[in-house]
Amino acid sequence: MLEENRYSSILKLNNVSLGYDKIIYQNISAYANPGEMIAIIGANGKGKSTLLKTICKIIKRHTGEILILDKTIESINSSIFPTLISYVPSQNPRPKNLSLFDMMATSLYNKTNWLGKITADQKSIIIDTLTKVGLSQYINRDCTTLSDGEFQRATIARSLIQDSKIITLDEPTAFLDIANKIIITKLLKEISITHNKTIIFSTHDIAQAIKLCDKIWLMGYDHFYNDTPSSLIEKGAFDKLFKDSNLKFDKEILNYI
Amino acid sequence: MSKFLKYKIHYIYLSLLLILLIITNLSLGSVIIPIENLLSIITSSETPLYVRDIVISFRIPKVITAILAGAALSVCGVQMQTLFRNPLADPYILGISSGAGLGVAIYVMGVSALGLSIDSSLMSNLGIASSAWLGAAIITAIILIVSLKLKDNISLLIFGIMLASVVGAIISLIQYLSNASALKSFVVWTMGSFSGLSYNQILILAVLMITGLSISIYNIKDLNTLLMGEVYSKNLGVKLQRTRLRILVATTLLAGGVTAFCGPIGFIGIAVPHISRMIFKDSNHKVLIPASALVGSIIMVLADTIAQLPGSSGVIPINTVSALIGVPVIFAIILKNKIS
Repeated sequence: MLEENRYSSILKLNNVSLGYDKIIYQNISAYANPGEMIAIIGANGKGKSTLLKTICKIIKRHTGEILILDKTIESINSSIFPTLISYVPSQNPRPKNLSLFDMMATSLYNKTNWLGKITADQKSIIIDTLTKVGLSQYINRDCTTLSDGEFQRATIARSLIQDSKIITLDEPTAFLDIANKIIITKLLKEISITHNKTIIFSTHDIAQAIKLCDKIWLMGYDHFYNDTPSSLIEKGAFDKLFKDSNLKFDKEILNYI
Repeated sequence: MSKFLKYKIHYIYLSLLLILLIITNLSLGSVIIPIENLLSIITSSETPLYVRDIVISFRIPKVITAILAGAALSVCGVQMQTLFRNPLADPYILGISSGAGLGVAIYVMGVSALGLSIDSSLMSNLGIASSAWLGAAIITAIILIVSLKLKDNISLLIFGIMLASVVGAIISLIQYLSNASALKSFVVWTMGSFSGLSYNQILILAVLMITGLSISIYNIKDLNTLLMGEVYSKNLGVKLQRTRLRILVATTLLAGGVTAFCGPIGFIGIAVPHISRMIFKDSNHKVLIPASALVGSIIMVLADTIAQLPGSSGVIPINTVSALIGVPVIFAIILKNKIS
């Protein structure tokens, strides 16, 4: 079992229940530390996206409390909130004729003047970040001309420029080929280490999650698990992912058979 | 950066085109006034009195109205298209023109039912403008109140379209019940016109336009984040309901003001944002809003120039011309698949 470090936890969820009108998932208790990469896994419709949106204050939770740096998310001022947590939706609209630079510039919303003027310092931050994700050569390109993998890296760059302590991503690798899936997941891992950011993302790629993540939030049909990948395997928690299913989790190949 | 040089060049030749069109517009009409005479009106008193009269009390107000209307409707169109993520959205999509139409219908039919004459110019000009403005403002107030309750923009769009059809039905009913001369006054208003505005009325219009355009410029930053979705904007700390409110207020001032004085002018609000995107190849509102204002003015002055081409035989209604320009543009956009 993991021991919760009271002082270093950046995000805490205490008995949270999720849902729009009806409760779809309940009794979520979890926490995250700086620099941790956490995968959320669960069957379709279990509420992975809803959990991320609830943490990001996009939808309201039913009960329980969510704390970022020991403050409930409701008590955090809406101009401070974007510096604590950012959200990358699973499907991002791609506006035609908007340059990659202008797309990045929007993420400085809280740091620019009323007209959104970008200072020289902010410009070099944008260029540096795009270099980090390997897109600096496309800085003036129309963002609709980027490939799916490139665009996903651009959305991650946008969160890095927003410079929030926690970055949440809803299925960042869902529509990507295997090469891009690995590129994106490794990029996220690198960011969590080098920038000391907490990365929380939902995924269906369990093998990748087990290999690269520090922790997994597993939304089982009976129980919510917040643990390291190895102890989840030990507990047999992955067998609790799908109800009434003949699938068995194979600990050797880290996948279902 | 070369991109900004390119934009500068676009702005320069578009501005020159606008000036050229304004001069053409001033010299053409039932009486053709040579350009050198136009200049001498300002510099000397040599020109015949009737020429001065035509230019100063008729043509200059008309061209100013056309410039203001074109800029206002186009800037509204850009904001509506971004807010609703819909390339076919225009300033009237939430029912502002229907509201104005209802105001005018009630006014025109009411005056004739009371046995008064609609023909006296004070009655028709100011009465129609204020009733149109009132109608537009009431409809927008309803939309504003409802928008505070609605979570997403698409629900607001659906509500606006539904409200517009209800108002349209009421207008039809009023038309059905009214007499021929009142009906004609109403139909003439719906055709749109830039003429007949006094300098005092233009001043009112200009104040509305400057306020509306200032709010629109303030909206630029929020509009840019809205390009990438409401959820993204919300996470950045954009206060969506306040943004929506500001966009609606700007639209009421701009489109409501134009409609009150000139009647509902169609197509410009849809077509100009697309034309501007095609010229500048940029969706950043910092470029798109001034570009649309400029292109909108050009097209409106062009439409007005064409409308007065028949010479002494009178003018073509402005809506006929704007539809004849607007529809081919919209078709071209669809065929070239330029809609994002």
